[in-house]
Amino acid sequence: MVLRLRLLASPQVPLEVEGITPDRLQDKTVAEIERLKIFHGNAQVALSDFFGVSGDASDEILEWEGDLSGVHWIGAQMASGTMRVLGDAGRHVGSEMTGGQILVDGNVSDWLGAEMHGGHLHVKGNAGHLVGAAYRGSARGMTRGQILVDGDAGNEVGHTMRRGLVAIGGTVGDLVGFNMLAGTVLVLGECGIRHGAGMRRGTLALLGRNPPPMLPSFRYACRCQPIVMRVLLRHLMQMGFSTPDDLLAASYCLYHGDLLEGGRGEILTSCSTAL
Amino acid sequence: MNLGTTFVQDTFAEAFAMAYARILVTAYDQHWLDAAVREATGYSSSVIACDAETGLERSFGEQETPDGRLGASLLMFGFTDEALEKSVSKRVGQCIMTCPTTAVFDGLDSAERRIALGKHLRFFGDGYQKSKRVEDRRFWRIPVMDGEFLVQDTIGISSGVGGGNIILQTTDQAAGLAAARRAVEAIAGIDGAITPFPGGVARSGSKVGSRYKGLVASTSDPFCPTLRGRVESELHPDAHCAYEIVVDGVSPAAVSQAMTAAMRAAAGPDVLMIAAGNYGGKLGKFHFHLRELLSGTS
Repeated sequence: MVLRLRLLASPQVPLEVEGITPDRLQDKTVAEIERLKIFHGNAQVALSDFFGVSGDASDEILEWEGDLSGVHWIGAQMASGTMRVLGDAGRHVGSEMTGGQILVDGNVSDWLGAEMHGGHLHVKGNAGHLVGAAYRGSARGMTRGQILVDGDAGNEVGHTMRRGLVAIGGTVGDLVGFNMLAGTVLVLGECGIRHGAGMRRGTLALLGRNPPPMLPSFRYACRCQPIVMRVLLRHLMQMGFSTPDDLLAASYCLYHGDLLEGGRGEILTSCSTAL
Repeated sequence: MNLGTTFVQDTFAEAFAMAYARILVTAYDQHWLDAAVREATGYSSSVIACDAETGLERSFGEQETPDGRLGASLLMFGFTDEALEKSVSKRVGQCIMTCPTTAVFDGLDSAERRIALGKHLRFFGDGYQKSKRVEDRRFWRIPVMDGEFLVQDTIGISSGVGGGNIILQTTDQAAGLAAARRAVEAIAGIDGAITPFPGGVARSGSKVGSRYKGLVASTSDPFCPTLRGRVESELHPDAHCAYEIVVDGVSPAAVSQAMTAAMRAAAGPDVLMIAAGNYGGKLGKFHFHLRELLSGTS
């Protein structure tokens, strides 16, 4: 059975629904769930003040319905189960989640999967800035798990990420992988500038038709066909992430950097010339 | 009991518990895949003197492998987990990493027992190696002269069975070779079983011990036709040639299936008798009775 939370009316100020996750609701009745507290602005209110609750939470499947663009922290700290968001969602979707999967059938705002530690996030639409990033002042961003965004994303994707996989199907803004510690960010569309600035390790695969300019602290190595890219791409295909078939056999231009941080990171861009 | 005109002796094959690993090797094309498989499965007929018993289990198409290239799964058997870890690392390092374009993946993802593979081999990268985690699998990317050698950090191992066997006794060598090839081809179609000897066939079947000090095994004189008259022969009176098909499998069921298929494929007019090698039942944990296999009661 599915537990459904249907937004009754758009809130005047943001709603914050931290803690409303399948794993925490599993053993609760509908009445108990209705009484759970959420924030409306800085005021605590009952969940049922803004959401119609129906169904059963025992199977750890939770569905959000309505225009949730003003609802933040959906799926934050989720540990297990399945969550589906049928519509747009606000900031911090899947923030610090450790397990389970969240599927958003719309767009999300900033901080998607920020500092997540496990699980799967898949957004069918666009995402805002700082996907998988570290919160300001934090030592590291996402440490495990994967974030798939079928559409576009904003700036600073993978900021200070430590491990995990981020894949963006569309375009992204500037500073992908800024201060990246390790992990993988893959972008299929065009992207802005200054990617990998300060990255220590990890992989940025920027596979748009027009490769972005490289920072001077990155150094060209060669054209190559890393097998690990084939493994990653096939894994993404199996996860339902739309990936052009010709990428499997594609050649990439490899750059090492950021040389200011030891040069152990890498950026792969699409190469027009076949090997 | 007869299979057509072939007599099946009322005996059993005696086999042993062994640890095994399954690695999935991929490569640029069939040529380089074959080269890697050939090299990695060489010198691995018997743990009497080799570090492991290995063989090709099956081939995989491009859609079936993690990197979308042609692949082959190899089974590697050793007596202990520790011995297997050493031999798999050495074989992958010396025979597969050296082969152009190859990559190595774990073929037993769900196994609880695990041994290090890339964890050892990564040091060849001399500090330039990189790790990459895809879901729960961790890979090492070791820089080599044609790009990178990709190998999984650890691989699963499990308990299997080594030493299932049948002994084909034929009117002459030509009939023996033909029967042996039929048997090996039948086993090749069975997942979870390998025939580690050359072409799947052992002509030098062995017994435990020797009259010479220090030798752990010596020729199986009861099955040598040239020794008939000098030793107590176990050959059919009209047999002039014998070949042993040794089977290692991932389970007793896999070995049973392989031995049964081999016997059915090998039987024919010039195959006088099918026997099996055992040590009186004193050494091996697994006993595969030939007639029970054929009657489906085993």
